[in-house]
Amino acid sequence: MWTTVLVSGITLGSFYTLVALGFALIFGVTHTFNLAHGELIVFAGYVAYWMWKTYGVSLLLTFPAAILATLVLCLILQRLFSRLREPMEMNSIVLSFGLAILLQNGMLFFFSGDYRLIRVPLLNQRIHLPGLSLSYGQFTLLTISLLVLALTYVLLHHTYLGKALRATIQDRESAALAGINVRGMGILAFAIGAVLIGLAGPLFGSIHYLYPTAGLQATLIAVTITIFAGVGQIRTLILGGWILGFAESCTVVLLGASWRELVSAIMLLTLLALRPHGILGREEQ
Amino acid sequence: MTREQPTSAPMKHLPLAHMVLLLGLAILLALPLLSGGNDYILQVFTHALLLAILALAWNILAISGSISLGHAAFFGVGAYTSGLLSLESGVSPWATIPLAGFAAAVIALGVWLFCRRLRGAYFALATLAFVEIPRVLTDNWDGLTRGSLGLVGLPGLPALRFGSHYFDIGASSVGSYYFVLVYGLLLLAIVTLILRSNLGLALQAIREEETAAASLGIQVQGYRLLALLLSASLSGITGACYAHLVRYIEPGMVYGLHFSATPVIFAICGGRFTIVGPALAALLLYPLDQFVFHPLLPAGHEFLYGAVIILAILFLPSGFWGQLRKGQFVSIKTGSIE
Repeated sequence: MWTTVLVSGITLGSFYTLVALGFALIFGVTHTFNLAHGELIVFAGYVAYWMWKTYGVSLLLTFPAAILATLVLCLILQRLFSRLREPMEMNSIVLSFGLAILLQNGMLFFFSGDYRLIRVPLLNQRIHLPGLSLSYGQFTLLTISLLVLALTYVLLHHTYLGKALRATIQDRESAALAGINVRGMGILAFAIGAVLIGLAGPLFGSIHYLYPTAGLQATLIAVTITIFAGVGQIRTLILGGWILGFAESCTVVLLGASWRELVSAIMLLTLLALRPHGILGREEQ
Repeated sequence: MTREQPTSAPMKHLPLAHMVLLLGLAILLALPLLSGGNDYILQVFTHALLLAILALAWNILAISGSISLGHAAFFGVGAYTSGLLSLESGVSPWATIPLAGFAAAVIALGVWLFCRRLRGAYFALATLAFVEIPRVLTDNWDGLTRGSLGLVGLPGLPALRFGSHYFDIGASSVGSYYFVLVYGLLLLAIVTLILRSNLGLALQAIREEETAAASLGIQVQGYRLLALLLSASLSGITGACYAHLVRYIEPGMVYGLHFSATPVIFAICGGRFTIVGPALAALLLYPLDQFVFHPLLPAGHEFLYGAVIILAILFLPSGFWGQLRKGQFVSIKTGSIE
């Protein structure tokens, strides 16, 4: 039984890392605290659901549409967030709280409050390997998540653009002095974040019911992992994702699925109590 | 009237602000007559008053600089405490409502345990996550809380008797309305006294410059805890009143985003550094939502709240009442949320 818990913990955890990565990147580069992150993922999920349901598009082919939709939305959001004054973290949390309400109600209007799931029969079939068995759904989730994480890692650590992004995350003023266009990096971070959200959305819709207020859980997951790992550290993000995924799987097995939502909340509160200065780890002004 | 220069004495604005307040009070007092016996209008304004009271209580904490995104935790625990106690033991709600305030204060101590060292965005985040704890517990602890089915058939507020006068509160919309109005005005008076006292000054000093406040001998953590406890217990009492007025509660409702988000929205739109601003925003925006947007857009009408908070934070960070009374209650240094 424990291998099942481990497998589901790792698949779920890898997906959670994908959920957190966009948030961490946007926060690291622009210091924007986007509470509407989960709502954007649910929105991308609804776009995929709508294409799958009305046009019979296969799950994999819904990704481009979901990415396009979140890209447009995120670039609009970037314009909004860039108008905010300091302190960025507090102002952006209030602004994105409003955005989350706006998005929830928009989704309620267009997709109604019913629970939706992208049901692909193939994903429920099981693959039997020596020693463990996992479903095609878990396999897809794991493969896509790790593939995207690996690609982002290559982008950040092995390209010139990635170097500029990481420099901006580490120190914005020095990066600007070195000739990096910090404003441009902010737009780029939102664009990459949008692609990651657009990838996470359809996957979310295939493993979890979509409903307009489902985003809060995804936001809490993203924030929890980001606070655990700090920004710009993909390997630590994966570790955080796996710990959270494993903790959730254990909770579901030991206590039942209805207690699952408590895990990320308690983990976040504990992390905050231990790291009161937050993600950047330094005293706030 | 000509437009004032920012440098001129802000006292000139006072009569206008007072006139607006007196007019608002007159409308509220006469509302049962103005509504022409329409119960729906009274019910909407009763709920608006409850939200105004919640925003008032929320703002006690915000005055000290901590924005909470999870006041539904206190509201919900208050509603459940009073609801369960009165339902299980048959005790009058008048006895259980104060206990709801006490229970919410106990929950606030739990929040304090986690959030003692947190400021700004991280405090907000922690409160957002904290609501999940009482919500999931209430949802799953069927033996104690009757789980996700909620509490049905809660006792209404009993009638009050003063000598030969007899006030029927629970039985009619007019009675409920006046009860909440009186409660709200009482609370407004208490909050005004608190915030104008040394306690209020200390809380503002902590918000503006915590290190400087501490160096003046203000017990920063003690005052922050006091503000949290006051704010939480008043929110809990408001939740209890809500439970006995509506007479039906369930976890998704009382711990839902509605009661966490509306105080934030009303306070930021009305003016976070003012006393009556948040309450005024509640009395304007909730009826606007219910009378105008709800009929137009049955699904998704609450987008209004999202839209107004975005507009307020971008274009009017000190809120409409804060703008009107700039410099009256506290100086607004930067005009941004800190």
